[in-house]
Amino acid sequence: MLPENFTAVVSRNECWRGEAASEPYEAGWAREAIFFVRALKEPVGPTTTAWIEVSPDGMRWLREGTEFPMPDKRDGVAMARLAHFGNWLRVAAHFDDGAECTVLVTLHLKA
Amino acid sequence: MKIQAPNPPDTLTEAMRLALLRADPALSRFDPLPRILSFDDFSRGHCGWSQLVGNYEDDLDTMLPGYAQHTSAMLSTLGHWDAGSHGGMGSSYALKVATRPVPGARNVAIKRHTFRKRGPIRFEMYFTFKPEASELKLSETDVRSVGFLFDLQGGDKDSHDDRVMPHLRFLNALDGQHLQKWQYKRETERIIPIGTDNKTISHYHLASENWLDLPGGSQRLCYNEVPTKVNWTYLCFDFDLESMTALGLRCNDRSFDLSGFDSIRIPAMKNLWCMLNFALFAETDVAKRAFLYVDSICISGDF
Repeated sequence: MLPENFTAVVSRNECWRGEAASEPYEAGWAREAIFFVRALKEPVGPTTTAWIEVSPDGMRWLREGTEFPMPDKRDGVAMARLAHFGNWLRVAAHFDDGAECTVLVTLHLKA
Repeated sequence: MKIQAPNPPDTLTEAMRLALLRADPALSRFDPLPRILSFDDFSRGHCGWSQLVGNYEDDLDTMLPGYAQHTSAMLSTLGHWDAGSHGGMGSSYALKVATRPVPGARNVAIKRHTFRKRGPIRFEMYFTFKPEASELKLSETDVRSVGFLFDLQGGDKDSHDDRVMPHLRFLNALDGQHLQKWQYKRETERIIPIGTDNKTISHYHLASENWLDLPGGSQRLCYNEVPTKVNWTYLCFDFDLESMTALGLRCNDRSFDLSGFDSIRIPAMKNLWCMLNFALFAETDVAKRAFLYVDSICISGDF
């Protein structure tokens, strides 16, 4: 049987500002994951850094260690590769006052 | 309820079919009609249960807000902070449909088929629901509802050419009131053109308004005693694609009279012939995520 893989859209056309994060996603069956974050509109304000978070329960979140710059232009795409994450995953970012980015966040999982 | 096949098989054939079904540990807990369209146990992936995405044209901003909130369903072991993974009935995994933590938020998973013959179809599943266990309280009124719907349209040469959408939900609670009853829906929201090419329209058929109580539809389900204990519940819905009418609803030990039930009916759409879609949804009543878990689904027909 072919190994399972799945593409999840966890944030679509969401305008991120202030403290932002994707909805929690359970991926415990997968051995590897890639988050892609695409800017659907021209980002406003200074480019910020996003990071990956993991969780023991889907409610309490810790930084996994992976960071990446958010896309700095419309249709720019950023990504983060993950190989050891337990079950719960999300992307988080902080935007300064007045800054925002409308995102499409997709999570690509492979068993 | 029992559905008669148009050409009933002989007794021996039916006895053999039942013997094979009942000897199969995966299928034995279902009562499928003669032809199984799909059997999903979620230890083999999402089995085609994808996100219900709203219609759009040119710009995602044209998507109706009800659809914009939807996210992808996931595979879950029902891992809980206090007791670890609960697991499913026959494997570690269940399909999970999770809302956002906003009162009234909703999420929908959908499986899209078409049909070969207009006849009886049966939708069976084992499901459960819980709110996110973010409080050390029973939280029994935090999930507003869980439910399902079909989205159907006849063949392009058929005389019955409405788009027909039977909806049923178990209204667990509303505004903090523990109501525990089955409801159905006959009206969708206004049909809205999307974009400028006159090719796409959209309507939000899952809005909070216009749900009707199913006569005799009160039912107290097993919720258990903390937010992290779950019990699987059986559901069976029968629908006839020929007459486009519902034939029966069973949930655990209860069988409900659907003589007062009807579906949402709207004019046929030009791209949806023979459509046979199935959808599952969850709604939260409070600022806490609601989770619909589905252990397994068997969809069968008589054709």
